Amino acid sequence: MRWNTKRRILCVGVGIAVLFTAFSARLVHIQVNQHQKYLKIAADQNSSRKAIYAKRGIICDRNGEPLAINVPIHTVFADGSHINDAVALAKVAAPFLKMDAKELEQKLRTKRPYLVIKHGVSEEDTVALKKATQDNKQLRGLGYEDSTDRVYPNGTMLCHVLGFMDFNGKGIQGIEMSMEDYLHGENGYRYIEHDPSGREIVVYRGQERAPRDGLTVRLTIDMGLQTIVENELDAAYKTLKPEHAVAIMVRPQTGEILAMACRPAFDLNEVNKANPEEMKNRTITDMVEPGSTFKIVATSGSMNEGVTDEKTQIFCENGSYAYGGKVLHDTHGHGLLDILNILIKSSNIGAAKLAMKMGDQKFYEYVRRFGFGEKTGIMLPGEINGLVPPPQRWDKLTITRMPMGQSVAATPLQIVMGMSVIANGGHLMSPQIVKEIRDRDGKTVMKFDPVVVRDVIRKEIADYINTGLSGVVSDQGTAPLAKVPGFTAAGKTGTAQKVNPKGGYMDGKYVVSFVGYMPAENPEFVSIVLVDNAALPSNLNYGGLVAAPVFSKIAEKSARYMDLIPSPKVLPVAHLDTQGSDFVKED
Amino acid sequence: MKPLYSSSKNQMNRIAVRPLACWLLAVFLAGTAGLCFVYIKLQQNALGNQTRQYESVLAQTNARIEVVDAKITSLTSRTALMHRVQEGFIKLIPIEDTKIARLLPPSNEPARHNELRTAANERRLQ
Repeated sequence: MRWNTKRRILCVGVGIAVLFTAFSARLVHIQVNQHQKYLKIAADQNSSRKAIYAKRGIICDRNGEPLAINVPIHTVFADGSHINDAVALAKVAAPFLKMDAKELEQKLRTKRPYLVIKHGVSEEDTVALKKATQDNKQLRGLGYEDSTDRVYPNGTMLCHVLGFMDFNGKGIQGIEMSMEDYLHGENGYRYIEHDPSGREIVVYRGQERAPRDGLTVRLTIDMGLQTIVENELDAAYKTLKPEHAVAIMVRPQTGEILAMACRPAFDLNEVNKANPEEMKNRTITDMVEPGSTFKIVATSGSMNEGVTDEKTQIFCENGSYAYGGKVLHDTHGHGLLDILNILIKSSNIGAAKLAMKMGDQKFYEYVRRFGFGEKTGIMLPGEINGLVPPPQRWDKLTITRMPMGQSVAATPLQIVMGMSVIANGGHLMSPQIVKEIRDRDGKTVMKFDPVVVRDVIRKEIADYINTGLSGVVSDQGTAPLAKVPGFTAAGKTGTAQKVNPKGGYMDGKYVVSFVGYMPAENPEFVSIVLVDNAALPSNLNYGGLVAAPVFSKIAEKSARYMDLIPSPKVLPVAHLDTQGSDFVKED
Repeated sequence: MKPLYSSSKNQMNRIAVRPLACWLLAVFLAGTAGLCFVYIKLQQNALGNQTRQYESVLAQTNARIEVVDAKITSLTSRTALMHRVQEGFIKLIPIEDTKIARLLPPSNEPARHNELRTAANERRLQ
């Protein structure tokens, strides 16, 4: 009996011991072996990693005028696990979210913990909605995420330069794209724990990293000049009804882009309404035959090489020159012309003969030295090289066609940078669109200094060609309409037949341009105006008639804006031919 | 010799006052510490809530400032001002030529004694 009792007690004791050992083993298994797993489950239930969004940097012009800014907006989402009364909540929230109450109610009947109700709710509406729903347990279940919307205060102005962003807030065109690394900043985070109602328990805040806001990008653009350029380009676009028109203004000494505009344009705040053709920044993505503006290469190149000098006279065959089985024409026949008058009269034959004197290889070398056929390196996406075939691929006629801007294609930016070589005394500058990058406190963190790509021609040659280009903007030249009262302007007209993508040229369609600078004696800006296929009859569609007057208006207003000192004297125009004061077709 | 009947006082167990006091004190201190801990925790929680509210107010104020800044920027942008000019809300009055004094360009040579010189335009010198 006693033995049985002892055995029973022993059995029960052993059983209990085994049981507790099993429990202990299980406990150890859970606490030690599966520690990470349960820690994660607990963390998922109560804690979360809250993102602290960085603000995108702003873009402003050279004087600090804001061009792209941020406006706080919110994404409203529903947490189905906290919604008590979807009907009441929908009724209260619908007016603030500008949604139909029934549609909202359907969404609020979700059981999902995260369902986006609406993106892009304004700050005012969000604050009002929060106020209307707070302190009422029946109206629980809405959450708010902070976000920002990019706003461009000037709408269409400078649209091709600024660019825009995609739905994820990443720049996909213009400065927004090229400066993405500087603009986007870096989001921060904070580990938080929340109570059953979803509110953060501040005491249990975990690891935290502050966000780094994006940097401010300051452009070289001057909005005063940009407004002038855009207004004049708009007026020309309305009057002339071309397929497109572009204008660029550059400071020749530094290569800074002061203004850049294309038409047609689009509203940066309504990008979804724009068509892809309107979004092209044609100053760098399109190439055209430059026409007679290209004659600066042969004239300056031949002098720089010592092949010609101030006294050189070129016989211009009285307007008709048979070469390579074809006849090259000048609109007005000329006899002997010196270098300056080849420019002033825009003689095709004169330019061709200068290039022939230089030789294929040397002329090609100067074309490349002026920056044609290679990207300028501007900090904007989508730039193309242009088209300059090497001498190996030339036919017999190329040496006569290329000097007058045919058989070659360049972007408007390349043309204006090429003209800057003459304006600044012979240096090819790298165009700059970004002046500097600053942090939120206004401290400069990166500065872009002017970059000389190469010295193209000697200063005295540039000065001499400058005299000829001043003559172009005179009653004896092809662009008297580019004159600016009180100032000496210089430049070159260009009229090129439009290239047919299927081969050859399009009848009656012209790309006309004027690229010039002012004041000629100390150029403060170089500007190009290019008009593609204006709705004008062929006998009126000339660079000197269409683009030069636009340049004149831009230059006059810019001179006032820049407070330029009127020219003390009009530069003498050397060796002017007395005949032919009319405009000449230069293609 | 011990009396047969002693007083009830003598029959009771003697209370050790000193250890009792020590225990009471320990319990009291532990209780107080516990209450303090709870109080501090509650205070911490309340302060946390307050912090969260202040942060929320601060964030809202910052957001409002940004909204107002954006409105000011939009209303004073060149495009908006040009619209205002076109609508006639703002009028531009040109300065007559006769009222513009044009100065000679500043000289780079050092000024002579008491000589009045034209100031260089800082914007152009940048």
